[in-house]
Amino acid sequence: MDSLLAFFTEPLAHEFMQRALLMSVIIASVCSIFSCFLVLKGWSLMGDAVSHAVLPGLALAFVAGIPLAIGAFIAGLFCALATGYLKENSRVKEDAVMGIVFSGMFALGLVLITKIETDVHLLHVLFGNILGITQRDLIEAGIIALLCAVIMLVKRKDLMLYCFDPVHAGTIGLPVRLLHFGLLILLALTIVSALKAAGIILVVAMLIAPGAIGFLLARSFDHMLAIALAASLFSCISGTILSYHFDTATAPLIVVIQAFLFLLALLGTSLGTATRTIIKA
Amino acid sequence: MEFLLEPFTYSYMVKAIWVSALVGATCAFLSSYLMLKGWSLMGDALAHAIIPGVALAYLLGLPYAAGAFFAGILAALSMNIVKRKTRLREDTVIGLVFTTFFAIGLLLVSINPTSVNIQGIILGNILAISNEDALQVVIISFICLLVLVLKWRDLMAVFFDENHARALGLSVQPLQILFFTLLSAATVAALQTVGACLVIAMVVTPGATAYILTDRFNRLIVIAVLLGSITSAVGAYTSFFLNANPGGLIVTLQTLLFIAAFFFAPRHGLWAKHRATKMILKGNSHG
Amino acid sequence: MSKNSIQLENISVTYPNGHHALTGVTASIEAGSICGLVGVNGAGKSTLFKAIMGFVKPSTGRVTISGMAVKQALKQNLVCYVPQTEEVDWNFPVLVEDVVMMGRYGHMGFLRHPSKADHEAVTAALERTNMTEFRKRQIGELSGGQKKRVFVARALAQGGQIILLDEPFTGIDIKTEDALIILFRSLAAEGRLILVSTHNLGSVPSFCDDVMLINRTLLAHGPVETVFTQENLVKAFGGMLRHHQLVGADLHDDEDKRSITVLSDDERPLVFYGETGGQKITKHGNKE
Repeated sequence: MDSLLAFFTEPLAHEFMQRALLMSVIIASVCSIFSCFLVLKGWSLMGDAVSHAVLPGLALAFVAGIPLAIGAFIAGLFCALATGYLKENSRVKEDAVMGIVFSGMFALGLVLITKIETDVHLLHVLFGNILGITQRDLIEAGIIALLCAVIMLVKRKDLMLYCFDPVHAGTIGLPVRLLHFGLLILLALTIVSALKAAGIILVVAMLIAPGAIGFLLARSFDHMLAIALAASLFSCISGTILSYHFDTATAPLIVVIQAFLFLLALLGTSLGTATRTIIKA
Repeated sequence: MEFLLEPFTYSYMVKAIWVSALVGATCAFLSSYLMLKGWSLMGDALAHAIIPGVALAYLLGLPYAAGAFFAGILAALSMNIVKRKTRLREDTVIGLVFTTFFAIGLLLVSINPTSVNIQGIILGNILAISNEDALQVVIISFICLLVLVLKWRDLMAVFFDENHARALGLSVQPLQILFFTLLSAATVAALQTVGACLVIAMVVTPGATAYILTDRFNRLIVIAVLLGSITSAVGAYTSFFLNANPGGLIVTLQTLLFIAAFFFAPRHGLWAKHRATKMILKGNSHG
Repeated sequence: MSKNSIQLENISVTYPNGHHALTGVTASIEAGSICGLVGVNGAGKSTLFKAIMGFVKPSTGRVTISGMAVKQALKQNLVCYVPQTEEVDWNFPVLVEDVVMMGRYGHMGFLRHPSKADHEAVTAALERTNMTEFRKRQIGELSGGQKKRVFVARALAQGGQIILLDEPFTGIDIKTEDALIILFRSLAAEGRLILVSTHNLGSVPSFCDDVMLINRTLLAHGPVETVFTQENLVKAFGGMLRHHQLVGADLHDDEDKRSITVLSDDERPLVFYGETGGQKITKHGNKE
């Protein structure tokens, strides 16, 4: 029993682990809430695109001497808006346009970062570095995540209605364009808050898996939110602690645990339907 | 002049330039089909999903292409199963599977960090490509190009109208499987030049640029292949002077050309369309 | 209760790419009736709906709803839209009662917290549409007719007086269709205005009081008996219509000039019977 307790308390003796755990709770919450909207709206590629597109923003923000988070946010939002504009004005399909824009921006960011001397550590941006989180990072991410989470929870009914039936949302006088761009802004902010911990590529996993687990198990939206949040918190906390003990990279381990939970949910639901059909027969 | 020719005096530069051009041409050929179908996410997903295979192959000293293929097939199978078992949207399924595979790859690398150059896999490493890897890339590209040159009409028929193709007596499903096999092979090759994150540009951007420039599919292919090979060669070449990541340069070039086509293309460009709309409106007010 | 109406004054819609979707539509639709909006795909049916819902701005002309500008009418929750079955994501994790409650959002405060009145409105709407026993079902677990009724219930809960129905009869059997027609008739009789977009010609005579035939512009508008004729339909549909005529020896043993004309675009065919195929309309399905 003592050793089990120590399994959880020992890592907490280190200050960097305390920060890492707090950070993982923050990003687990905000990412899982957003992932419900992302999965229902069918915006997985959009999440992928915006997260890759923040790269040039980081480099340019460093050159301009403004906080990196602001640069990343502007670049992410630019990607979403440019995709919309190019789609409206050409005959190329939306997914292709999105691929072109985000890969172009990522490439530009890559060239800038290898060219300009910045303190942006490329590998940390790509793969995340939750164990190297500073006090300042924690406060920054915490503020952004809290802001996003509060907006999403307070306005969840409007956002959900927008995802479900935008035409109805329009006829009852909801500001549909505001909801659309609001959701994009929230996406960019969520990604920025999770970037330092999860990295550009794995943040996409944090934005898809919890919502997908909730979707499998829930029949109503609020249940979906609760399940997504629980799954995400469990994977982030256990992933951080396990990575300490087994000395592996943290963010990938979190993602693998999430995938494992998804697999369990999948098995559970298929077993459930199987037994139901047997009972019926 | 001597300054401009300097890269060609280094054998590693010459190798990088022509291997890049070859891969660029292959990917561009495939991009002509891919971007018409709304399957761009597939290209990106494949590139990320093969990483655990590549990492394992390097760990075990196997040819990297073999590991990549194995992981790619496994990923495609998982997507298929999850899609059949759940009512999740297709894009969610793809996103879920590829990020998981990618995470597994990173986890493998983090357990044994010394033997695999993960940065090379993610961001491309064409300037330092080993002769064995280069040979694999060249073989893959040649086979792909050969099959494409022989079968491009059949594939076009299948992509344009499946039912019509079936009526013509073409075997639709084998042709689709052939296409995805070629796509994964090209993805494996492109991993070496531009890296996993930028493969999507190689298999989408040249085709989309050509699509704005022409209405005929055979010309579209020719333009796309030219764009793909030239941008890849030029990108690798200029990386010598700029001392920047060649993959980044190649894709930046491709994107710039797309933007130029978007604005200035003769018929489908934004400028041309604005002029045409103005003419219509003028005609209306007179008539 | 003030009169519900839609006034269209010289509506033209041109999209940014130069496509003229509608030109010069002028019409007045009054409450208490069901009006069918009939035309081929691409004739501008959905553009006209969008103009009435304020999603596209007409390049010329003005839409007035019950004497108000569109925006104001939407604010007052006057307009409800019942979507096509194919437009809805049936896997969405919402229960039947959640969807009906969405009709009340326009009446709720900032947090969209339902009041007692909102719950009552939802219960009443579910009862009216016979959906009470399914209120805890996830929407994907319903049959075709029930799926349709959920969205009608949402419109009822919203309390809107102007109901736009988009292809209400695709994908459901004729018996369910008849039950829905009875419901819509009683809603119209209570003073609501119902506008139905459809290319299902067979249901129009038994269902609609008025009909608007459109093809990029308004071709004809008026009571079904006078407007829904073979000549007008051929004009509206051009070559898009399947056209079967039974005449002479195929139909009669004697010298009779009358013929049967069957016009169909999809499920339910429209049948004309008469000397030149135009005067008399044979009603189908439910006769009230």
